[in-house]
Amino acid sequence: MESDELFINMGPVHPSTHGVARFKLRMDGENIKECTPVIGYLHRGTEKIGEMKTYLQFIPYTDRLDYISAFPNNYAFVKAVEELAGIEVPLRAEYIRVLTMELNRIINHIVSIGSLLMDLGAATMIMWGFRERENALQLFEMLCGARMTFNYIKPGGVREDIPDGFMPKLNEFLKDMEKRIDDYEQLINGNEIFHMRMKNIGVINAKDAVNYGWTGPTLRGSGVDYDLRKYEPYSIYPDLDFKVCVRNEGDSYARFIVRMDEMKESLHILRQVVDNMPASKEISSAEYGIAPMTGTPTGVSTYFPRIFTPPAGEVYSRIEAPKGELGFYVVSDGTTKPYRVKIRSPSFCNLTAIPSLVKGLKIGDLIAAFGTIDVVLGDVDR
Amino acid sequence: MNAAEELKALLPGSVISTGLQLNKPMAVIKKEDLLKAAGKAKDIGFDHLSVITGIDYKDHFEVIYNFFSYSKKQNLALKVNLDHDKPEVETLTSLWNGADWLERETFDLVGIKFIGHPNLIRILLPDGWNGHPLRKDYDMNTEQFVTIGENGDDVVSPDGTNLLRRK
Amino acid sequence: MWTGDIMTEIPNGYELIVFILKFIGIYEPINNVFESFGLEYLLRIIIVVVEIGVLFVFILLTVMFLTWMERKVVAMVQARYGPMVTGPRGLLQPVMDGVKLIGKEDIIPAKADRWVFTLAPFLIFIPALLVFIPLPFGPSLIISDLNVGLLYIIAISAISPIAILMAGWASNNKYSLMGAIRAVAQDISYTIPLALSAIAIVLLTGSLSTVEIVTAQSGTWFGFIPKWFIFLQPLGFILFLIASIAEMGRIPFDFQESESELVAGFFTEYSGMKFAMFFLAEYAHLFSVSAIVVTLFLGGWSVPFINFLPAGLAVLVPIISLGAFLIKTYAIIFFAMWLRDTVPRMRIDQLLNLGWKIMIPLALLNLLATAILLTAGVFK
Repeated sequence: MESDELFINMGPVHPSTHGVARFKLRMDGENIKECTPVIGYLHRGTEKIGEMKTYLQFIPYTDRLDYISAFPNNYAFVKAVEELAGIEVPLRAEYIRVLTMELNRIINHIVSIGSLLMDLGAATMIMWGFRERENALQLFEMLCGARMTFNYIKPGGVREDIPDGFMPKLNEFLKDMEKRIDDYEQLINGNEIFHMRMKNIGVINAKDAVNYGWTGPTLRGSGVDYDLRKYEPYSIYPDLDFKVCVRNEGDSYARFIVRMDEMKESLHILRQVVDNMPASKEISSAEYGIAPMTGTPTGVSTYFPRIFTPPAGEVYSRIEAPKGELGFYVVSDGTTKPYRVKIRSPSFCNLTAIPSLVKGLKIGDLIAAFGTIDVVLGDVDR
Repeated sequence: MNAAEELKALLPGSVISTGLQLNKPMAVIKKEDLLKAAGKAKDIGFDHLSVITGIDYKDHFEVIYNFFSYSKKQNLALKVNLDHDKPEVETLTSLWNGADWLERETFDLVGIKFIGHPNLIRILLPDGWNGHPLRKDYDMNTEQFVTIGENGDDVVSPDGTNLLRRK
Repeated sequence: MWTGDIMTEIPNGYELIVFILKFIGIYEPINNVFESFGLEYLLRIIIVVVEIGVLFVFILLTVMFLTWMERKVVAMVQARYGPMVTGPRGLLQPVMDGVKLIGKEDIIPAKADRWVFTLAPFLIFIPALLVFIPLPFGPSLIISDLNVGLLYIIAISAISPIAILMAGWASNNKYSLMGAIRAVAQDISYTIPLALSAIAIVLLTGSLSTVEIVTAQSGTWFGFIPKWFIFLQPLGFILFLIASIAEMGRIPFDFQESESELVAGFFTEYSGMKFAMFFLAEYAHLFSVSAIVVTLFLGGWSVPFINFLPAGLAVLVPIISLGAFLIKTYAIIFFAMWLRDTVPRMRIDQLLNLGWKIMIPLALLNLLATAILLTAGVFK
C-alpha cells in the first residue's frame, strides 16, 4: 500500500524521551526516513553564569548539569581548577572522592537500565533498581545532607569527613548490591523478546563511533577499548585494579551489557577503596585546612578562601563520568571569576549520531536505541 | 618531540607558534590553513575531536580545538585567532561528523560563522533569538520572550505580546 | 459418576433454579398462579432474567476483583505494596476507581461521529459478556448448553475488531485510526491459531459442545493423572495460550498502550464512563479467555478425586466443582499477570511475524498430528 509521508512529532513532553527532547520524524509508514532532534528546552545558560560567579560559587551550578550523577560533575570542574592553581589534595580526600564517584556510577547505570526497560514495557526492573538507589541516596544524605545536588567536592578536598555510621551501612550496601545485580541479570539478560528488540538495532562500528565523538559506555559497546580511568588516570585510579568492559558488536544489546558489567566493576573498585581508606583525618589541602562549622556530623568543614585567584591560563581537563567523557575548559585571567567556562558534556556529543543511527528503523527501535545512549537533558542543554 | 612540534615540522607555513595548554601541546594555526592542519592532525593519528571552544577576547576571537589520539594516547590542541568584526573560519564537518553540533553550538552562543557547514542554525536557543549570549558585549538587561507557534516551533519576540499572560 | 448423574437431570442453570424452587416447595404454587392468568411463559422469562442477572453480577464482581488483583500482583512482583489505603488492604480500590470515572466529564470531540463514538464501547463490552453463555462453571451451572458452543465462542470473539475500528474511526484522530488498524491486524492474525488449536480439541471429543468437552476430561489414567487434554495436546495448549494473550492485548503483545505509538491507541479520545467500559471489557475478556482455556485444556470443573467423596456429601459436589473451576481459572489469570510484569513488549512487525509465520504452521502441524494419531486409534 503506497502511503504518503507522515510527519510525526515526538514532542517535548513524552514518556520515553528522558527529559524534554523533541524529535521531528519524517516517516514512510512505519519506517523512519529522517529524524531531526530539537534540543534547547532546558538551556539555562550555565556557561554564561560561569563568567559571573566565583570559582567556589560555580560549583553548585555544576551539580545541576547531569542531575542523575552529580558527583562527577563537581569533580570535573574542581579538577580543572586544581590543575590551574596547582593545589595538592590529601590522600584521604581523594579516596572519599573516588568512593562517591563510583557509587554514583552504580546508581546512574541503574536509572539508565531501568528507564530503558520501562520504555520497552518491563516495569519491574526500574522498581527493583530504585529500591537499591534509595539505599545509596540515604548514604549520600548521611554524607553531605543532600540526595541529588551534592555540592560536596571543593578545590582542595571534600567538604566534610565521613560520619560514624557510614562505613557499616556502605558495607551492607555492597553485599546487597552484588546479589541484586545477579537478580537483574537473571530477569532480563536471557529474555528472547529482549534480544529481539535490542540485537542488531542501532549498529555503529568503531570508526564511525569515534568520528561522531562518542565516548563512554556507548563507545565501549562498539569495540574501542578506552577508559579515561585506565589510560589517562587521575586521582587514585593508578592504584586501583579493575577491568575495562568492552563489547564488539556495536548494537544496543552490547551497550546494555557494557553497563551491567560496569556496575559490577564499580562494586569491585568500591571494595578496594573501602579496604584501603587511609586513617588520617585530613580532608582538605594543607594550604587551606579546615575550620569549625556547626551542624556538620564531625564539627569541622573544609575551609576554602572566598578570594581565590588562580594564575592566568587555560586548562582542559576531562574525567570518565558515567555517561562518557565530561570535560571542562576553564580560562582564567587572574581575577576571582573565570573568564570562560566551557562544558563538554557527553550526552550532547552522543546525541549527534541519532539521526544516522535510526534511519530505516521503526519508532520502537528509535526508543530502544535512544535509551541505550543514555541521555540526560540537563547535560545536553546545560 | 611532542605532537605540536611534529605538526610544525609537517606544515611549517601554517603553524604560527607552538606552546603548552597547561600540560598539553598546543599549536596556533593560521586561520586559512585550519582545514589542512586538522586533516594533517587526523592523518598522524588524532582521531577524536573532543571539544570546540569559542572565546571572545574583546579585540579578537579565539577558537580552540582539542584532539586526542586513541592509538598513541596523546593530546593536542589547535588554536585559531579570528578578527573581531568578522569571525569566520572553515568547518571541520568534512573530517569529523561530531563537529557538526559542536560548531552549531559555538555559532549559537559565541557567534562564530563556520564556512561550509551544512546546516548552520541555532541549536540551544530558539531560532529567532537576537544576539549571541557568550560575547562580552551582549546586553544582559533586555528581555526576549519565547512562546510556541502553530506548528510546534518557537517564536521569539522582544515584548510579551505573544504570551498568554501579560507580565 | 456423580457429575454424570446430575448433568442428565439438570442440564443447565434454568433447570437448576426450577429444581431449587421445587426443593423448597414453592414452584408449584407460583406456577399455578401464573397459569391461572394464562401467563405461564412470564414465569419462565422471570427465571431466565434472574439467572442472567446472577451471571451478570458475578461477572461484574469478578472484573472489579480482577482490577484489584492485577495491581496487587504487579506490586508484589515489583517489591512494593500496591493499593493499601482504600478499604482493608485496598479492596475498595475498584469501587473508588469507578466513582472517579463516573464523575468525569464526558467529552465527545467536536468533529467526531457521535453515534458511532457512543456505540463503540458498548459494542466491545457486550460480546465480552455474551461469551459467557456456553461456559460451564459447574455441573449444572451453565446458561445454555449450546450444541455449537465452541463455534459460538470463537464467532463472538471475532466481533471485537469491528468495534475497535468503530472506536478508532469515530474519534476523528489520525493516531487513533492508525492504532485501531494495528489492533485489528493483531486481532485477526491471532484468531487463526486460536481457532486451529480449538479445532484439534474438537477432533478429540467429536463435539463442539463445551459440556461434552468437559465430561470427556473427567476421570484419571493410572489412578492419579487426570484425563485433561493438556496432556494429550501440549503444543495446542501453548499455542492457544499465547494466541489468547495476544488477542487480549496484554504485554508482551501490548504495543497499543505503549509509547511506541505516541498516544494511547484507539481509545485516546474516550473519557469517563466510556473509558471505564473499555477497561471492564478488557478484564471481562481476560476472565472469559482464561475460563475457555480451563474448559478446553484443564478439565473445566472436573476434579479428578471426586469419586473418593463419601456418598452423604453428594450435595457438595457442585460447590467443589465450582471451586475447582475458579481455582484453575485464577491460576491462568495469575500466569498472565505474572507474564506482564516480567517481559518487555514486542515490536509490531515481530508480533505479526510470530503470528503468521510461526504459530499458524505449528497449529496446522498440531492438527495434522492429532488427526493422524486419532485415526490410528492411539486415543481411545
